[in-house]
Amino acid sequence: MSESGGHVLSFPHMGNYHVPMVTLASMLDTEILVAPRMTRRTLELGTRYSPEFVCIPFKYNLGNFIESLESGANLLVQAGGGCRFGFYAEVQEAILRDSGYEFEMLRLFGSFELRDYHRQLRRINPKLTFRRALWHYRLASRQTNALDVVEDYSRKNCGFEVEDGAFERAFEAFLGKLGRTQSFAEVDTLERETLEELAAIPTERPDDALKVGVVGELYVVMEPFSNFFVEKELAKRGVEVHRHMSVSEMIAHSGRNGPKHLRKLIEMSGPYLHYHIGAHGTESVGLARQFMQDGFDGVLHLKPFGCMPEVNAMTALQRMSRENLFPILFFSYDAQSSETGVRTRLEAFCDMLRMRRRRDPGLAEAMEVCA
Amino acid sequence: MNATVGLPRALLYHKYGDLWTSFFETLGVPTVVSPPTNRAILERGSRLAVDETCLPMKIFLGHVDELLSKADYVLVPRVASLVRGETTCVKFLGAYDVTLNSIPNARLLEYDVDVVNGKRQAPEMRRLGRSFERNVTKVMYAYARAYRESKRRHLEHARQQERAALAPGLKVLVVGHPYNIRDELIGVPVVSILREQGASVLVAEMSDASEAKSLSARISRDVPWTFNKELLGAVEHYRPLVDGIVFLVTFPCGPDSLMTELCVRRLDGMPTIVLVLDELQGEAGLRTRLESFVDLLKMRPGGRFATDAVMGVRP
Repeated sequence: MSESGGHVLSFPHMGNYHVPMVTLASMLDTEILVAPRMTRRTLELGTRYSPEFVCIPFKYNLGNFIESLESGANLLVQAGGGCRFGFYAEVQEAILRDSGYEFEMLRLFGSFELRDYHRQLRRINPKLTFRRALWHYRLASRQTNALDVVEDYSRKNCGFEVEDGAFERAFEAFLGKLGRTQSFAEVDTLERETLEELAAIPTERPDDALKVGVVGELYVVMEPFSNFFVEKELAKRGVEVHRHMSVSEMIAHSGRNGPKHLRKLIEMSGPYLHYHIGAHGTESVGLARQFMQDGFDGVLHLKPFGCMPEVNAMTALQRMSRENLFPILFFSYDAQSSETGVRTRLEAFCDMLRMRRRRDPGLAEAMEVCA
Repeated sequence: MNATVGLPRALLYHKYGDLWTSFFETLGVPTVVSPPTNRAILERGSRLAVDETCLPMKIFLGHVDELLSKADYVLVPRVASLVRGETTCVKFLGAYDVTLNSIPNARLLEYDVDVVNGKRQAPEMRRLGRSFERNVTKVMYAYARAYRESKRRHLEHARQQERAALAPGLKVLVVGHPYNIRDELIGVPVVSILREQGASVLVAEMSDASEAKSLSARISRDVPWTFNKELLGAVEHYRPLVDGIVFLVTFPCGPDSLMTELCVRRLDGMPTIVLVLDELQGEAGLRTRLESFVDLLKMRPGGRFATDAVMGVRP
């Protein structure tokens, strides 16, 4: 293609990362269409055209693509990773073409070498210099980082806000401004100001607030719509929510830093793992054990139904939970998951954690019921 | 050291069984292989496994459990990657740890093949052999011999099938992982029902793995799993020679969920049937579906077996 004119680029959603994604994609000088907000329809569309028991992120991604194509997109971007994710793009492309859509697909595969990506991107925008690509990449990374820092702060504190929705309002404002930042300095300032603003929100934290860690598969952990907003639901029940997984973390441990990070995680997993068990499975086990040793009250493990690396991780987590009497709640999401079911189990989990704190004699009975 | 080594007749046994048996035999280590899968083994495995574990992995755990009382050690290797730039299915990455976490009192033997991270099969198996035989030369000899022997058997097997593919008659290709096709509960009934219906059955295996891989690119560029690449290559290889293709998938197989979808879309005009098996599978349902599939192949207009009694049905 000689001119990049005429392209309307779109990509699947994940959490709030569409903001840095737009910054990144704007290096291509195409029109950018952020996929319509996720709704039940997104999942229904995705499910209708997907293989029956493929993991749920595939269905959400496909739903996003269809909704984008309906709104006029003609250049779809998909990434790839260490499990089935590496095969998403090709199958999604085949499904969408067979369904009669016309588009071009840009598949960015994870060598994590910027030069490789640059070569691929030049296909769309031949005028793209490496320097410019690097600048967009670094600004987008910086924005991602700010986003993760601010989200992390809200996750830990929004459960204790005095005025309902104060954190959410501040966060929405931050998200709007983040998309308009044009330089590192602007992102720095925005991050500092937002953190000050959030810190100024009045909170009431009881001395015995519960602390829960979240681990699991990257998509359902980072896309709150797909996990029925479990983090928010936990916070509403006065829980301090911790999670390590974020895109910043993934960037930090990608490429050359990967093997070292994995070795550390296997060490953190203690007796439960001897080898890397695939994608983020090792991380789930290592971090869950860390949460346990740090005195957290419990861990939430989220994954799509049938997710292979996380099923591997579950065997270790179940054993860890059994041998240490450490509460871990497992959620497995597919197209049939019900929000009510998730909420009920979450509520019971929180009740049980409180009883465990008080060494309540009813605990043993409650654990029986939960098991 | 004269300990007995147990070999679970599941998963990689169906690929490396000959290699292991011959290796331990040359080293003078007695081995015991678990019996062909039966309902009891599957039930033991299902009880030990996380609900969502795939069927062959549940069966595998059942076999390991079965061997605990019969052998001193059970061999559970980790085969993570065989070639640069490819991986095996994630369940093989976790097999060792999953087994240990599901059966904490099991005494396991392992070796780790992970070419991407610099761990090759030969030195890893020699390391394993050293725990039984101090003499390095003897271990090296045992491995070399086992390797040659297993390769010879594999070639013999594959060539036999390649000849059978050229014979006349109705032919059906069964596409599935060897550990499914050769499993007594999963693939064996499928193959025998097809044969009863008068079809000769080919399985998706080729003598030349590298040729299979280059052929697989015609169906898929990105498929990341070595074993699935070999399957795709065999599909492409046998496709002009067969009348229909049966995809044998176990629930909820991650790689196959996507590979089968892509394959069916790209095999234009080829009659296909996708059988998804789980532990609740009944023989009757399987039989009905396979019988009608073979009937359709026989009646297919334009098919090699078209007769006057054509009903105008296109699968």
